[in-house]
Amino acid sequence: MTSFVATEGLHVGLAERIRPFTPLLLLVLLTVGVNIAEPGFASLNTASVVLADASVLFILAAGLTFVIMLGGIDLSVQAAASFASMVVAELLPRVGYAAFPITILVGLGMGIASGFVHVKLRIPSFVATLATGGIMTGLSLLMEGGRTVSLTDQGRDQAAWISGAWALGVPNVILIAVVVAIGGMLAQRYTRFGRYSAAIGAGEPAARAAGISVDPHKIIAFGLSGAFAALAGIVLAARLASGSPDLANQLLLPAIAAVIVGGTAITGGVGSIGRTVVGALIVSIVRIGMTYVGVDIFAQQIVFGAALIFAVFVTIDRSKIPIIK
Amino acid sequence: MLKVEGVSKSFGPVKALRNATIVVGANEVVGLIGENGAGKSTLMRILSGGMRPDAGTIAVDGAPVALRDTAQANRYGIAMVFQEQSLLLNMSVADNLHLANERSFIRLGVLSRRRMIEAARDRLARVGLEIDPTQKAGELSFAARQMVELAKALSLEERTSAPLTILLDEPTSVLESKDINILFDRIRSLKSRASFVFVSHRLDEVLAISDRIYVMKDGEIVAERPAGATSVPALHAMMVGRDLDAEYYREARQKPPGDEVVMEAKGLGVQGAYRHVNFTVRRGEVLGIAGVIGSGREELTRTLFGFLPQTSGALLIDGRPASLKTPTQAVAAGVGYIPRERRVEGLVMDISVAANITLARLDAAMRHGFIDHGRERAIADEWVRRLRIRTPSAAQVCRNLSGGNQQKIVIARWLTADSHILVLDHPTRGLDVGAKEEVYDMIRNLSAEGVAIVLTSDTLEETIGLCHTILVMRDGEITARFDAPPYAKPAQVALLEHMV
Amino acid sequence: MAPAFQSTPSVADPAPEQSRLERGRAVLQRSFGGGRLADFGPLIVLIGLSLILGLLNPSFFSFRNLVWGLANSAAIPLILAMGSTFIILMGSIDLSVEGVLSVGAMIVALLCANDSNNHDFGWWGPVLAIAACTGLGLLNGLVHVVLRIPSFMATLGLWFVGLGVGTVALGGSAVRVLDHNIRSIAFQKVLAFPLAVWIAVAMFLLALFLERRTRFGRYIYAIGGGEDIAMLAGVPVKRTRILAFTLAGFFTGVAAVLAAAQLGQANTTIADGRLFMTVTAVVVGGTALTGGWGGVANSLVGVMIVAALANGMVLLGISPYIHEAVQGLMIIAAVGLSIRRSGSFVIK
Repeated sequence: MTSFVATEGLHVGLAERIRPFTPLLLLVLLTVGVNIAEPGFASLNTASVVLADASVLFILAAGLTFVIMLGGIDLSVQAAASFASMVVAELLPRVGYAAFPITILVGLGMGIASGFVHVKLRIPSFVATLATGGIMTGLSLLMEGGRTVSLTDQGRDQAAWISGAWALGVPNVILIAVVVAIGGMLAQRYTRFGRYSAAIGAGEPAARAAGISVDPHKIIAFGLSGAFAALAGIVLAARLASGSPDLANQLLLPAIAAVIVGGTAITGGVGSIGRTVVGALIVSIVRIGMTYVGVDIFAQQIVFGAALIFAVFVTIDRSKIPIIK
Repeated sequence: MLKVEGVSKSFGPVKALRNATIVVGANEVVGLIGENGAGKSTLMRILSGGMRPDAGTIAVDGAPVALRDTAQANRYGIAMVFQEQSLLLNMSVADNLHLANERSFIRLGVLSRRRMIEAARDRLARVGLEIDPTQKAGELSFAARQMVELAKALSLEERTSAPLTILLDEPTSVLESKDINILFDRIRSLKSRASFVFVSHRLDEVLAISDRIYVMKDGEIVAERPAGATSVPALHAMMVGRDLDAEYYREARQKPPGDEVVMEAKGLGVQGAYRHVNFTVRRGEVLGIAGVIGSGREELTRTLFGFLPQTSGALLIDGRPASLKTPTQAVAAGVGYIPRERRVEGLVMDISVAANITLARLDAAMRHGFIDHGRERAIADEWVRRLRIRTPSAAQVCRNLSGGNQQKIVIARWLTADSHILVLDHPTRGLDVGAKEEVYDMIRNLSAEGVAIVLTSDTLEETIGLCHTILVMRDGEITARFDAPPYAKPAQVALLEHMV
Repeated sequence: MAPAFQSTPSVADPAPEQSRLERGRAVLQRSFGGGRLADFGPLIVLIGLSLILGLLNPSFFSFRNLVWGLANSAAIPLILAMGSTFIILMGSIDLSVEGVLSVGAMIVALLCANDSNNHDFGWWGPVLAIAACTGLGLLNGLVHVVLRIPSFMATLGLWFVGLGVGTVALGGSAVRVLDHNIRSIAFQKVLAFPLAVWIAVAMFLLALFLERRTRFGRYIYAIGGGEDIAMLAGVPVKRTRILAFTLAGFFTGVAAVLAAAQLGQANTTIADGRLFMTVTAVVVGGTALTGGWGGVANSLVGVMIVAALANGMVLLGISPYIHEAVQGLMIIAAVGLSIRRSGSFVIK
């Protein structure tokens, strides 16, 4: 087999220096661009809308980031979020505020199940999560025969901490997302889990040879993905005052796009919650910008699909996967 | 009719081939011998079209040719039977034989299975193999698969008018003796149609089958003898004869090891790889394991770090039984591992030097349950200084550092983790001379501090030079044990006898 | 990487005299692309399942149910599974099935006589739909091979692009197909079976032919069994990959035509859930996700199992919402239980 020859010298070219900042640059360009196309876009009002949309998307994408950093994929996040919305809607009248932590635990549990199936049964993550996603969708449909569940008045009150607004009219959703973002970034930088995940994603054989137990970390990553998806589902339920089996269906692609466009490579390793923040903002601006400009929601999918391919093309590290399957 | 002249090839700083010249005449078997790293594989890869030389020419029947890929080599009648079997195990023997050459069986776009099977039977018969061509390759024994590969190589004669040269790379290392005899019979009977190049570590076999033998050492062809005019000991001597440079291996710094036994193997075995392995390693001792591919030493090395748990026998670390089922357990037991594939199993390339150094003992950089980046930097900076790691800073990612520096970082990692036993798996592979010397220095330092080292090396010379004690393995068992005190080192030939 | 420790038996003599039973077993094994009993598993499961269902509700075996409940409902999944099987045999995946199918159905609906515009192109509708879907398959292949993007990402992207195109063109609502000839594909009976079933059978035979009797088929297995070995041996890997994805597009196109005919319309949800079903069917049939093992015959069995299960659940009055959950469990069970697992792989 060909051997890698280490190159002497650490001179890093200009392109390499700029690359990590591309998403940020893109964000700025987009905002300016859309504003030129439709003046009035860059206003405080739209900023609020964009940020709120980005917040939900970001929460979903944050969980995905953990999984994608490890080189896997979770195709069940939208099903998990929808399922969580149903669960929380059903539980609120029954157990009050306890419904929130319980729902998150349910999401965590389903995520761990996905991770377990992937790691222990050695099933590729896209199949494992496709399967668990199907199971969750099935359960969602089963709960109310496919119908949505509206929040009662009391439920709405209980969910006010999500759907309400803080000082200066800043929606709480944004604050929740900020908390998640900061928590995620801190976890990545300062916890053992964060360090080990980064190592596993960037070089699994080396991490293993350094004594890191890879399997539990992968399972936890999927668990987190499920828990974050559940949180996203709760937020959606609060905002829409109801839960339904296909609530988050349109969000899978934007969530994946947010992670990858933000700069986390699907080959794993390079990436962070911070990047996903930028990615989520970009995706939201595109979504809302497109709607502003008059592109319909289905057509937006075309744009995203193409953008996804482009983003992967740019960020993928081909030296890590000699044979592209 | 096939002449390789003045061929050279380097991989970075390492010169794998230097000005090598061999000739393969018609209807003869040419043997090619040499130690690990002598350049045999590289030469074969160039001959078979798998690799381009940096310099030199290849000529077929006097006309120079450029072998761009294996398909082109095939057109000149050159085919290789690989050491790592290259049959597709999920497909039938017939499919494997005809892979990528099915054109002759197609009529109107349809493959005729019947004709493929008949043709396969025919080709198999030519190497004396009577097996069902519809069987999947994965169902065959190693020996049978080897024959199928030989049949496949020979089938070239139907596709080219050039005379055939079949390159056999260690064909017997996975065969039992009765199969080896069968293989040799076939080769002799096939000499009328093809020439063979027989690469092997087994000198007696090479002598038995070859007409002429080339000896390689350090990338050069150092000798050529007709088989009838030489013997196994003579070949040994030609393969290795270099005076060990005591200075190079810092023999002066080799101090006697401590008394305390830190690792002990009792009847250790892994089914299918090695068995009945017994040894002890004391504090500060450097134990070397010598052996060729298939001797079991690679697997033994992997067992000591938890990659390949033993199926029989016991391993004791510090007097306590240790069943290392995963590397995690090995690390917990105080064992460290310097892998042969540094870029894959050694460092996580895209994270920082500091992060790599603390990876096996993150606790050292943690405070109150969280990572203290300041403390981590301090630890890393300390090692950068002490081991003279050349990097702009400890925050630099490891990917672009040189091999020697990368190796030092791996060592720093195990030092941070307080490993008292280190398993070194070909630690100087791919390093230039200067970096190698630095590694030797570090090994002496570690040894002086009481770290026990188990060493598996590319060259016998290095093993002998660095170690206190050497175990020689062959076919899965320990065949000899040598003491190697400084300035009284055993001769390489003495070890070779027990290796092959 | 350290060499994967081979666990093949060291010296076993080539198979000695085989008894007739063994030879028969070997033949059966070979036709299902397997080499061990595990690959009989799906067939046994199918038979067992059918017997159980028949016991629970004898109308399972009624002729009417066999034709409409089973054969007809398995037609489209079977065609889709044909395309996906080739992809999965190579060790890749095609996630774009739903998007491509949307496009195909949309084209049929908009070009044939419909309630949304004045077009009435008759059979040109299906022809162009199949051509378009084949083109999308080709695009998949090119993006994957030329841009060197892993198949799941490339096809994920195209999934959504296709979905977007398919639904945008429909203007967000359903378009009914009024062309009687087209619709007749779904219900015109030939020898007691609807035309759709015959088309599915034809597609199966086509796929079987391609798999067994063409170089393309051999190459697919080679790529799945060991892409680096295949490449060294001279197999045209890139070309084969692109061809495989194009072929998958073709099959999806045919399925799209059938779907539009069956449903009588094209709408935004016509493709929903089909990816999942297709992957389930292929996996349950015994084709390994890692590639190189299995085949279209396996997928046929897999589709029948999934169809029988769905049919059975309907006959037994089980809530349709459980279907997806059950399918999910089936995939996990099928993949988890299959013995063929490459040891030293890093599964992503």
